[in-house]
Amino acid sequence: MEKEAIKKNDTGWKNGMAKNITFIVTKDCQLACKYCYLVGKNEKERMSWEVAKMAIDYILDQEDDMQEESVVWDFIGGEPFLEIELIDKICDYLKIEMFQRNHHWFNSYRFSFSTNGINYDSEKVQEFIRKNRDHLSIGITIDGTEVKHDLNRIYKVTGKGSYKSVVRNIPLWLEQFPYGGTKVTISSPDIPYIKESVLHLYSLGIKEININVVFENVWKEGDDKLFEEQLMSLADAIIDEGYYKDYACSFYSENIGKPLDPILENTNWCGAGRMLAVDANGIFYPCTRFAQYSLRDKKAWTIGNVNDGIDKNRLRPFLVLDRLSQSKQECIDCEIASGCAWCQGENYDAAESNTIFQRSTAICKMHKARVRANNYYWNKLYRKLELEGQREEYEKNKKEVKQEIC
Amino acid sequence: MLQYLIILLDDTSTSYCHYENPKKDAGLIPLNILKAGIRFGMVENLMIQFVYPDYELPGEYKEAIESIDHSKIVSSLCNDKSLADEADVIVFHDWSGISYAMTFPDKSYVLRTTKAKLFERYLFLKEFLSKVARLNIVITDIETFDDGDYEQYKLILHTLSENIEKMYVDGLAPQLNLLTDRIMLKEMNNCGAGDTNITLAPNGKFYICHAFYIENEDDCIGDVKRGLDIKNKQLYKLKYSPICSHCDAYQCKRCVWLNRKTTLEVNTPSHEQCVVAHLERNSSCELLKSIRKHGKFLPETEIQEIDYLDPFDKRKEW
Repeated sequence: MEKEAIKKNDTGWKNGMAKNITFIVTKDCQLACKYCYLVGKNEKERMSWEVAKMAIDYILDQEDDMQEESVVWDFIGGEPFLEIELIDKICDYLKIEMFQRNHHWFNSYRFSFSTNGINYDSEKVQEFIRKNRDHLSIGITIDGTEVKHDLNRIYKVTGKGSYKSVVRNIPLWLEQFPYGGTKVTISSPDIPYIKESVLHLYSLGIKEININVVFENVWKEGDDKLFEEQLMSLADAIIDEGYYKDYACSFYSENIGKPLDPILENTNWCGAGRMLAVDANGIFYPCTRFAQYSLRDKKAWTIGNVNDGIDKNRLRPFLVLDRLSQSKQECIDCEIASGCAWCQGENYDAAESNTIFQRSTAICKMHKARVRANNYYWNKLYRKLELEGQREEYEKNKKEVKQEIC
Repeated sequence: MLQYLIILLDDTSTSYCHYENPKKDAGLIPLNILKAGIRFGMVENLMIQFVYPDYELPGEYKEAIESIDHSKIVSSLCNDKSLADEADVIVFHDWSGISYAMTFPDKSYVLRTTKAKLFERYLFLKEFLSKVARLNIVITDIETFDDGDYEQYKLILHTLSENIEKMYVDGLAPQLNLLTDRIMLKEMNNCGAGDTNITLAPNGKFYICHAFYIENEDDCIGDVKRGLDIKNKQLYKLKYSPICSHCDAYQCKRCVWLNRKTTLEVNTPSHEQCVVAHLERNSSCELLKSIRKHGKFLPETEIQEIDYLDPFDKRKEW
C-alpha cells in the first residue's frame, strides 16, 4: 500500500464502531492532575472480583441487545494499572466466557487502557502485556515538555510533577506499541506550551498526538488569540520541518470548520449511551462521565446495575439525541460548525436543568481559533505540496474521513 | 405558547392525571396568592383552570374565583355538591362513579384507573359513554405495562371500538380520548405542561404541572412575585423531542412528568408510553374504517397503516 503524503490521526480500532464497555476498576490515582474532570476520586471505591464477574455475566447474557461486531473492553480509573491483578483476572474470564459461549465478540475484541504510565514497567503490567499482546491498546498520557506536563500532572501526595516517572517508560511503550498514541489535554495555563510540547512528543518518537482542549468553562479573555498563535506557529514547524509526513496532530483536520447541514449532518457527536460503563458498586452508566466521581454539580446518571440489569428507558434519550435538539440556533447556523465537539457528560454537568439536551458552548471561541489556525495549516500545506508536485497525487489518494465520535 | 394557568386551590386538590396526590392535610392557597395568580393569568392573557379540594371553599375564595373566566376541575368525591353542577371536568378516582354517580350530558369526565381495573371493568364504559359529553381515561400505571398487557389492551380497545361504532350508527357521537381523539386531530395535541400550561401551587410558586409540585416542592419554575423562569423551556416543545416530533399518535398525553420519571428527560417518552399510545392510534384507525362502512365520515382524515408501535425503533429512518 502506498504511503500517504500526510499522516492522519488514527480513527480508532474498527473505525471507532466497536461497542465500548468500560470497567471503572478504581477511583484512585497516584496523580492529582489539575485539569482532571474526576472530582470525586478516592481510595475506597475499588472494584471487587464479584462485581466484575456479575457485570461480565450480565453483559455477555445480553448478546441480542449488543449487536456491534466488535468490542473494546476498556479499563479506567483513576489509574487502571493500580488494579492490574483484578484486570488480569477479568480479562482471563472474558476470554474464557466469550469462547465458551461462542459469543460473536470472541476474537473481535480489544482490551484498552489509558494510563498515566507511572507503573508501566512493573513486573505485573509487563506480564499482562505479554499475555494479551495481540488484543491490546495502551495509551500513555504525557502532556509534552517537562514544564508543560508538570504544570498539571502532579503527584497527589507530594505535589511534584510526574514527567520523569512517565518519560522513562516511553521507549519501552513505543517498543511494544510503535504506533501508540498519546492524549494531550489543554487547559488555559497550558496554551503557551502547545507548540513546544507537541514537537517534544514527536522527538520522543510518539507519532500520534490526540490533543484537545478541555470542555469545561475555564477559558480566560485572550486565550483564543494565544491558542491561535500557538497552533499557527506549530503549523509552521510541522510543515517546514516535514513532520506532517510521519507524525499526526489531531488539531489539524481537513474536515473541520465547515457548515453542517441541519438534516443530513444531524448526528450526535458523543457516543454516550452507545457505550456502557460499570463502577465498583456494580452501577451501570451511559459513559464514565456520568458516574458521580466525574460530576461537579449534578447527580450521577445511572442506567441500571449488575443485579437488575439495564433500564432501557434511561438509555432512550442518549440514543435519540441529535445535534439540533441540543444546540442553540447560533450553533445550528454556525458556518464553521464541523469539528466543534462536545462531551455529553460535561453538557449534563453544566446544564441549567437536569438534561443532556443543553449543549455547553464553553469552547466556542477556542474552536473558532482552532479553525482559523487549521485553515492556515492546510492552505500552507496544500501550497507546499503543489510546489513540490505532490498535490494532485495527494488529492487522488486521500481517504474519506468519517466524522469522529468521541 | 403559554395559554393556560392551572391553579391548585389546596394541597389536597384532586389529581386529574397520571400522578397520585398523597397529601391528606388541607393547605388552602392564601387568598392573596390566589388573587395574585388570577392577576397573573389576566395580564398574561391565560385561561385559568381551578383544581378543587374535596371540601367547600370559604365565601371570599368563591368570590375571587368568580371574578375571572375559568373552568373548574372537581373530584366526584367533593363534599361541595353545588360544584357538581358548576364543574367543567369531574374526576373519578375509582370505577364506582361510572356505575352510580349522577352524570350530566354536557360535562367532561376523567376516569383515573389502574390497568388491572380497566382490564377488569371496561365493559361498564359503554353505557357511561352514552350519557356524557366526553370521557378521558387516564391509566395511572402505564409504566408497568408488559407484553401481556399490550395484548390485552389491544383487545379491550377493539371491543370499545366496536361499541363506539354501534353508538355512531345509532346517531350518537361519543368522545373517548383513547379512540376518538386521534380521529379528530390533525396534529399533536398533548398535555402541554411547561409549554401551553403551567401550574400555580398554594405556596405561590409555579410548577411544570401538579405532579412536579407533589414530587418536589423545590422543583419550581418561578413564583407569582417574580414571574416565570423555566430552565431549558424549549424541551417542553414538540420540536425539541426527537421521538415525539417523528410521531403521529396525536392523541398521546406525552406526559412530561412520566417522561422524566422513566427516562430522566422531560422530552423523551418511555417505551411503554409510546406503545400504549400507538395501540390507541392503531385502534383509532380501525374505528375510523369501521364507521366509514356505514357512510361518509370525516373524508379528509387519514390514519396511515404503520408497522411499528414505538417510533424509537424507527430512529434510523428519521
